[in-house]
Amino acid sequence: MKKIFTLVLGVVTSIGGFVEAGSISTAAQAGAEFGFALLWAVAVATLILASLAEMAGRVAAVGQRTIAAAVRERFGIHFQIVPLVAELAIDLLLLMAELGGVAIAVMLLTGVGFAWWVLPVGIVVWLVLWFGNFDVIENGVGLLGIITLSFVYSAWQLAPDSHHILSGLVPALPGHHLARYGFLAISIVGATVSPYLLNFYSSGAIEEKWSESDRWINRVTSFVGMGFGGFVSMGVLISSAMVFGPQHIQVNSFVQAAQMFAPVFGPWAITVFALALGVGCFGAAVEITVNAGYVISQSLGWTWGVDKKRRDVSRFVVAYTVVLLLAIAIASMGFDPLQMTLISVALTVVLAPVVVLPFLVLMNEERYVKEHTSGPFGNGLLAVLTIVCSLMAIVVIPLQILGGG
Amino acid sequence: MDVCRDLLDKQVVDRNGRWLGRVDGVVLERPESEPPRLAAILIGPVALGFRLHPAIGRWMAALERTWGLPKRRPVRIGLEHIVDIGRYVKTDLSSSETDALAVEQKLRRWIARIPGGG
Repeated sequence: MKKIFTLVLGVVTSIGGFVEAGSISTAAQAGAEFGFALLWAVAVATLILASLAEMAGRVAAVGQRTIAAAVRERFGIHFQIVPLVAELAIDLLLLMAELGGVAIAVMLLTGVGFAWWVLPVGIVVWLVLWFGNFDVIENGVGLLGIITLSFVYSAWQLAPDSHHILSGLVPALPGHHLARYGFLAISIVGATVSPYLLNFYSSGAIEEKWSESDRWINRVTSFVGMGFGGFVSMGVLISSAMVFGPQHIQVNSFVQAAQMFAPVFGPWAITVFALALGVGCFGAAVEITVNAGYVISQSLGWTWGVDKKRRDVSRFVVAYTVVLLLAIAIASMGFDPLQMTLISVALTVVLAPVVVLPFLVLMNEERYVKEHTSGPFGNGLLAVLTIVCSLMAIVVIPLQILGGG
Repeated sequence: MDVCRDLLDKQVVDRNGRWLGRVDGVVLERPESEPPRLAAILIGPVALGFRLHPAIGRWMAALERTWGLPKRRPVRIGLEHIVDIGRYVKTDLSSSETDALAVEQKLRRWIARIPGGG
């Protein structure tokens, strides 16, 4: 019974953790500019994320190591320094974007300028981490995230043509703006497959003391949970396509994106959007902050964990506090969260090959997964992923120049 | 034993199971007309820094000095104190017999003072 509860909770919290500044902005832009044509990119990105999360969870449950720890141990510091620095840079940029996302949400609700909210929001993030244990971080934040289902409700109410949705799930080249289309497709993948999600997921498995027998929980949580998350992203894309598409409106800010709720929620549109955006970004901000602490501590072999007494993991606490302070300081100087999101998404794509490649090795070694190594399907998937990621890494910067504006 | 595969970058634990850090470097000795042999493992940002680039190592050392950390860093654990090399690298020392947790203890004094930290 307890296992079932864990399972349901895991699935629900994945929905909450999935939707944040990056996935909302990329899905909204894709819907506004290309209708349903990029739905397949959301589906593919979700599948990639779910597969990688399942593998990260397997290394944690069977090998009792997080991804950062396993990569340092297996590949040594000379390799690991690249994904380590990259992940911290992406964490910092994304954290700024999420803090900005929450600040914009509060601004939409109160009317008070957004720069004023970055510091208070950052302080609340820190307080949640300081006083909360892993259950609070994972479940509290995740359960609040159910509000993001409003995107699915909105899409449902707008009654899209199911035939059009199905054809959007099949990749096809558009008749116009090829560079922009390619850029958005890659951005959706970059926004969905964030490296922080993978290490956070594997660290969570260790915090919750998963063992080898929990592999099925891992499988269900990763695939069903992330699958539902992708479902919400599709809700964003469909709502945006139905509302902005016919009027040829491009989404250039979160304030503008809020209008996608106008037909369904009427006078409550801004409030509901602000709550969904705010809660989604806040959850992500908490997860990204603690993940920065996880990655640094695990790479260097320090004791870590949010369920331990703070004074027993002082370096871990200081590590995530410093990253959070840095993000607050830079974000307070005033910036466009949407731009910050796009930069971090491009960076994620450029560095995806070094994040994916280690999985190909880890998932085939008994030291990390015992006899539960990847079969031909898992290995084939990883091989294809590595190649696709490398190709995307090469084209993302040219595409951003051609189609990013 | 293969130093790179089996030793470097592994988690080091003390005799009470406390995490001391990772094997950030090794010390090799080369006695007269004999092949080099492993003498000790090193733990700490200075050792790690020197492995990446001497400049980073020197920078870390300067940082540690300004911070007033003990002189016995990077922490050196002689091979005679290594009792097992497997999932973890185990030593028969306890954490207090080394300076591996000097930073942790320095920060601990601040953290314990904040309400909710104890």
